[in-house]
Amino acid sequence: MKRILKILGIFASVSPLVAEAQNRFPKPDFESGYIYPEFSYFVPDEMLWNTVDVVLLTIMMSVVAWAVLHRRKRAPVFIVSIISVLYFGFFRSGCVCSIGAIQNVALALTDSSYSMPVFVFLVFILPIIFTFLFGRVFCAGVCPFGALQELVNIRDFRLSKAVSSVLGIIPWIYLIFAILYAVTRSRFLICQFDPFIGIFRMGGDFGMIILGGLLLVASVFTGRPFCRFLCPYGVLLSLFSRISLLHPSVTPKCINCDLCRNACPVDAIRPPYENKIKESRAAGVNRLLVYFVFLPLMGLSGALLLHVAGDSFSHANKNVRLHELIMQNEANPQDVQPVDVEVFFSQGGTIDELASRVSEIRRQFISYSTIAGALIGLIIGATLINLSLKRTRKTYEIDSASCINCGRCFDYCPKNQLINKTE
Amino acid sequence: MNRKIVRNIAIVSAFFIVTFSIMLITNYFQIRGFNPLQTEVIETLKQINDENSGNTELQEQIRQLDLLARRAYFVSISHLETGVYLLIGMLVVFIVAIRYYFAVIKNVPEKEIDPIDEWVEKTKARKYVNRAAGGLVTVALLFAFLSSPYLDSLKNGKPQDEKTVMTEMKNEDSTLSGEEYGFMDDSAEVLAENTEKPKENVSVTAPDSTPTDKPDSTPTDEPEIPKVTYNNFRGNNSSAITAAKNIPTTWDLNTNENIAWKTDIARQGYNSPVINGNKIFITGADEQARELYCYDLNTGKLLWMLAADNISGSPSEVPETSHDTGLAASTVATNGKQVCAIFATGDLICTDMEGKRLWAKNLGVPVNHYGYASSLLSFGDLLIVQYDNSNSPKLLALDMTTGAERWNKTRTDKITWSSPIITYIDRKPQLILMGNPSISSYNPNNGEKNWSVDFLSGEVASSPCSANGLVFGASEYSSLIAVDAISGEKLWETNEYLPEVSSPVATKDYIYLATSYGAIACYDAKNGELKKSIETDTEFYSSPIIAEGKIYLFSNSGKAFVYLANSELTLVNSFETGQRTFATPAFTDNRMIVRSENQLYCVTKKTIL
Amino acid sequence: MATNPISRKQFLRQCGSIAAGAAIISVSGIAVKQMLKKDGDNFWQIDPSKCTFCGRCATSCVLTVSAVKCIHANKVCGYCDLCGGYYRANVKDLNTAAENLKCPTGAIFRKYIEDPYFEYTIDEDLCNGCGKCAKGCNSFGNGSLYLQVKQELCKNCNECKISKVCPSDAIQRVSADKVYMLKDG
Repeated sequence: MKRILKILGIFASVSPLVAEAQNRFPKPDFESGYIYPEFSYFVPDEMLWNTVDVVLLTIMMSVVAWAVLHRRKRAPVFIVSIISVLYFGFFRSGCVCSIGAIQNVALALTDSSYSMPVFVFLVFILPIIFTFLFGRVFCAGVCPFGALQELVNIRDFRLSKAVSSVLGIIPWIYLIFAILYAVTRSRFLICQFDPFIGIFRMGGDFGMIILGGLLLVASVFTGRPFCRFLCPYGVLLSLFSRISLLHPSVTPKCINCDLCRNACPVDAIRPPYENKIKESRAAGVNRLLVYFVFLPLMGLSGALLLHVAGDSFSHANKNVRLHELIMQNEANPQDVQPVDVEVFFSQGGTIDELASRVSEIRRQFISYSTIAGALIGLIIGATLINLSLKRTRKTYEIDSASCINCGRCFDYCPKNQLINKTE
Repeated sequence: MNRKIVRNIAIVSAFFIVTFSIMLITNYFQIRGFNPLQTEVIETLKQINDENSGNTELQEQIRQLDLLARRAYFVSISHLETGVYLLIGMLVVFIVAIRYYFAVIKNVPEKEIDPIDEWVEKTKARKYVNRAAGGLVTVALLFAFLSSPYLDSLKNGKPQDEKTVMTEMKNEDSTLSGEEYGFMDDSAEVLAENTEKPKENVSVTAPDSTPTDKPDSTPTDEPEIPKVTYNNFRGNNSSAITAAKNIPTTWDLNTNENIAWKTDIARQGYNSPVINGNKIFITGADEQARELYCYDLNTGKLLWMLAADNISGSPSEVPETSHDTGLAASTVATNGKQVCAIFATGDLICTDMEGKRLWAKNLGVPVNHYGYASSLLSFGDLLIVQYDNSNSPKLLALDMTTGAERWNKTRTDKITWSSPIITYIDRKPQLILMGNPSISSYNPNNGEKNWSVDFLSGEVASSPCSANGLVFGASEYSSLIAVDAISGEKLWETNEYLPEVSSPVATKDYIYLATSYGAIACYDAKNGELKKSIETDTEFYSSPIIAEGKIYLFSNSGKAFVYLANSELTLVNSFETGQRTFATPAFTDNRMIVRSENQLYCVTKKTIL
Repeated sequence: MATNPISRKQFLRQCGSIAAGAAIISVSGIAVKQMLKKDGDNFWQIDPSKCTFCGRCATSCVLTVSAVKCIHANKVCGYCDLCGGYYRANVKDLNTAAENLKCPTGAIFRKYIEDPYFEYTIDEDLCNGCGKCAKGCNSFGNGSLYLQVKQELCKNCNECKISKVCPSDAIQRVSADKVYMLKDG
């Protein structure tokens, strides 16, 4: 693999940038005709690789869109999944991924001093555009994380709607917190707690590898636990998928065999439903009204709650921690001075300047987490409203928000197989 | 038949996967938890070898161990790598096999065609979401509650306890009001109740608890307590560099320009003021009494005074001292909780910040022909006493709260009047002392000697200074030297201008000093090159202090000098204060406290009305 | 009656589509404006003038063996016999015996050139980026040994884990023309 890298890379002997060096000893005068060895340092051609990534991403998403929307077939999606796991997963080691790019984009939108590479932005926006056009084709098998879970999935035990509704809130909270930490320049939460990157890199943070392993084991028995209950990019895409221009549909002349619903890994196929439980219309309307009234209240209380907690979130920031270390060190001068404190002072930092920076960060944290709290409150409220809507369906319907275009249902649908055969 | 083979392959690969995982996990802990490259055994053996070289047997042992350690490190890394590859290979085999095995079963629908009623599921889901939201709110509340006030009370000690009580009280109020709210809601949907009630609690608690999160904002009507402390002679750690800001460079005692207050001092002394919070401490002594004074920083009012009397072992007759040293030449030391003072009688007394006497002892009357003059040094709750005298020179570390001895080292150096300093080298504190004939470094935590360099002679009164990993010592009767504080190696030596009583101050680049015959000099810290010297027609006993990049210096006659701390010694201002000054001034934000011969005065920027 | 709910649904969908399209276009617009202003920096690299050799590069990298390695600038090196990066402090004999050497993995090699000069080379396969030699060289010598991120090993994480623990913020995103920050005499 290294050899391939070297062919595609360029060898550059880079011009010196740092000329300063403390010359305690003079440059030796060699008499034996010694010649200084020449070093050239390998520089991977990032431009080339990024282009390859973007092109492949586009091609793979187009293939999925063609296979699912036009051919109504699963096999190409499966092949794309394997390619994705091998290329984006194991070969490219999964960085920068679309999921993590959320943070870069969020930071770039709020902080004008941050410079975002074009590649990162493309990786972020391309799947969104494709989702807007064709539904979640990125999730189908182009995303190496989804593809890996798809490949190991064997049995599909369905979780109850109640459990999956509760767990479905987690990615929203995750997304909100990831953006909160990104825009305050504290840390990239999504990258730090990426469960599969350790598996793709065959090494890394131990806790994360264990979490990744557990998620993989879970995905053997149930469809895509990470995509459904953790992935922050998935919820973003589900918003666009909800109103996508094209998306998979139930085969015409459905015979109501229920095989497709049974095969769906993400519970996106809804069976026909006729209201059997009798409840007075007034009670239903009443409940809905109550939820609508409480929606802003929930947002408000969430905002207040996180407004209070905002200050404690700021501990994730490097400057805040440094400030704390310095304060601790001032209180106990006997202890060994932490290296961070020593370096801070040796670089001419002053406590006042740091303190003002820290209070600025704290302020930022409090205001941003207030917004975050409001959003979380609103999302919980919206989930509740969604769950109190009663809809009658005459046929099987696909919920385009949660459908991931994996095309499994096509393989199970007897009607679809007939159509494919006759073609 | 075919399925059976596939099943067996799956079972075998599963077995391998489990074994490999266990092996890899143990290997991981071996690498991360225990680094074979840094075993203590090898390190200690290497140190033993450094101390007595030429022990071939020991060297052989080190080489063997070192080889073993390296082999262990590289072997475990390569094992990890191959192990991971094998594991992933096995996983692929397992997945393929098991997928194949289940491929047949998969097509059979396992759910009954008629599903559970959707509305029932939705109702259940609503209930769960409600509960989860309630849970989230409780967890967040608990988190917010526990973290902020509790942590604050840990940091700030007692004063915060009241606040926690207050918060708790407020919390009770809020639950009450929350119930009032809940009462209104009772007419609403039963299902909604689950979340709404705890949520109402939030909305009421939150605004109440926010002010408690900002303890700083409450005492705005009182004068602000300055954060910058000045706990020892020449500031914290006796470094002669202060973080204090906004210090005026001009003032006039006659017109009271930039003078906040002036106050007379009851008894005479050459010691310098120290500042902690709103309190200034100095001592004064004559043959009748030895006293510790505490002044208010804002008003100059004497808050309390304490006489060092009734101390067992204290001599009935005070030792004879010269007029330019006196009985109270040593500066006091504080750590913000206790204040300790020492007098030429050997009496050491310690009080709390309110003037309540905690302990006192006599260290044995020092035999000293001018009078004992070394200042005390506080280091956390340790009090360092350099007790170099003619009869029993020693270095003591006492517990400031109890007076108990932490450690005690006998000194071989002769009598000195110099004061100790603390400096951080490689993040570890070093206690630097100048004696006769050596400048030496100790570990302040246990009194172990790190290194010492002999170069001093005669009467040593000046104190050392340190910056950027180097220690500098200078005395009129010997030279100015720079020592590498890690190795204890002398780097350079020079003797153009040397201080006698005044102590030098060092920055990263330069050393500044003032001599008894009126010269002010700047040396390059790297090589000892004289950068600049200024001759004045006065004498310096007081030490230069650097604040905001400016050197503040007072001559004995009372002339004040302010220079920029650069190689050029650019003069900012110099003028006569009109009061003879021997002590070194003390600084805190916006204020400089100067002890002149008979007065204590506070210099501050006065806004012109 | 039957057409009414469908048209309402369709109307909502259309509104959503317009909103989504607008969101995509506006986010792209802002991002493009930002990206036109300056190009993004693609690589992680250590600024040797800021590095303090704290040793965290060796332990914090996501890789099992850090992508940070020691680099030797021969043109800065003094070719000293007593090398602060090669030997431990206070060594008595200047030979290659294990008890005298600083590098924990034995990655530095010493070669006699001519009196009194010795050449030092680093085997990067053995180096684990602990920076002990670089620290020694910087405090006693010319500072010719220093740490750099080896770009062929670096996974180019979206957020470098070392950069989050670096006490001096020496590890930063750099542009393609600064991929290596080399010292050169």
